[in-house]
Amino acid sequence: MGPPIIGVSKHIQHIRELVDHVAHTGLNTVISGESGVGKEVVAQNLYSRSPRLGKPFIKINCAALPEGLLESELFGYEKGAFTGAEQKRRGKFQLAHGGVLLLDEIGDMSLPLQAKLLHVLQSGEFTPLGSEKELRTDTWVIAATNHDLKQDISEGKFREDLFYRLNIIKIHIPPLRERQEDIPPLVDFYVKEYAKQLGGENIEIPSPRIIDRMMQYSWPGNVRELQNVLKRMMVLGNCDQIVNELFATEPENNTEVATSVSTGQRPVSLSDLLDLEGENSPDNESFSLKTIKRKAVDQVEREIISYVLDKTDWNRSKAAKILKISYKTLLYKISDLAITPPPGKRR
Amino acid sequence: MATNPRVLIIDDTEEVLSALCKYFDEQGYEVVSADNGLDALKLLEEDIPGFDLVITDLVLPNVSGVAVISIVKKKFPKVPVIAITGWGEHPEALAREAQADLVLEKPFKLPDLEKEARKLIAGGSNR
Ligand SMILES: Nc1ncnc2c1ncn2[C@@H]1O[C@H](COP(=O)(O)OP(=O)(O)O)[C@@H](O)[C@H]1O
Ligand SMILES: [Mg+2]
Repeated sequence: MGPPIIGVSKHIQHIRELVDHVAHTGLNTVISGESGVGKEVVAQNLYSRSPRLGKPFIKINCAALPEGLLESELFGYEKGAFTGAEQKRRGKFQLAHGGVLLLDEIGDMSLPLQAKLLHVLQSGEFTPLGSEKELRTDTWVIAATNHDLKQDISEGKFREDLFYRLNIIKIHIPPLRERQEDIPPLVDFYVKEYAKQLGGENIEIPSPRIIDRMMQYSWPGNVRELQNVLKRMMVLGNCDQIVNELFATEPENNTEVATSVSTGQRPVSLSDLLDLEGENSPDNESFSLKTIKRKAVDQVEREIISYVLDKTDWNRSKAAKILKISYKTLLYKISDLAITPPPGKRR
Repeated sequence: MATNPRVLIIDDTEEVLSALCKYFDEQGYEVVSADNGLDALKLLEEDIPGFDLVITDLVLPNVSGVAVISIVKKKFPKVPVIAITGWGEHPEALAREAQADLVLEKPFKLPDLEKEARKLIAGGSNR
């Protein structure tokens, strides 16, 4: 099931060692890292090295489903529990019994569901919707996240008690750009994989020179993006052009975006800023002094906070001092106003 | 006690770890230490004579103190474990659930810790 954990970097060696030593424990685990870094691969490797191998490995993405649906997927329901529940349905906790349940994107789980999950982790029991009976579950819960859950806690989006209960074992996978030496072995592994699948004779494969260039790229989509690029190279050929395109789309090289942010070209008049002719026109249903004021304030706050963050090189504690707001408030505002750091700076 | 008791001490704050090690060493213990949970697990797996006591911080990189406690209590149920926690950290309850013999909140006095350690070692032995 799944590939081995490929890589030669210190980080990957450490992760493989960690997996070997903790796989037998079945203790709650959190795997963190950007999207596409290999969180699921690590979870699969934990499972394969555990005594639970052969039992179910169930995965659910907490970000993909609305709250109600996620709840019924996790815990199941009885016939007639709600309109549309025509058949009794078993939840993931029941399906994963004896095995592993991978809760992907745990950071996106709603607070009410977090409370229910905490209860299951504390008691080992859960109740399907519309049922009176508590069911026992012996499930190894592995959670994956691309959020900084500590930050989510400070913003009131993640329960601290759940955090500690999940974080018995923690495995962090750094982004691919911080472990470039893993790129050649990954290329090697997946070129062989795809060659098998494609089966053709004269498939173009990336030369050492191309791989060198690939090591300079920032891989925002990490290994998943690397896989897609390799597939494209092997199907379409013309590796050179594909690599050039990669660098052309990199945010750092996108001069238009870069300059408009750093020189701070801003709308000149207030009515431009408020977009009174467009989205916020008085002709609109949602128009009211209150909503426009709210939007204007948000806009102004966003501008000022971005400006100060820019100047402090995204040093958030410095920025908070300059703005004379608490660190916590700043973190909250960054997320609430969707202020995004320039590439390379952590959220 | 016939020989010097062997104690495994785990903490990721260097000053705390070295202070603990120094004190227990002076008190005649044979001290082995780790600054993260994984290294502690390796020591527990490899160490032949075994430990008479484990003292662990709770919040640690990679393998948490709570995990260390659970693993020790499963593999070596007789080895006593003391959890030491920073103030305001939540996992104290988890440490108790994992069957830590004692949970001690920082700051504490080293002689008090050592007294508890001696009591626990006298109470049960893995040798
Ligand atoms: N170290 C690795 N070795 C082999 N394959 C990897 C590695 N890291 C990621 N992959 C592959 O990259 C793809 C994305 O990985 P995945 O585990 O789904 O990432 P995440 O869950 O972090 O988004 C998968 O096809 C996975 O098999
Ligand atoms: Mg994934």
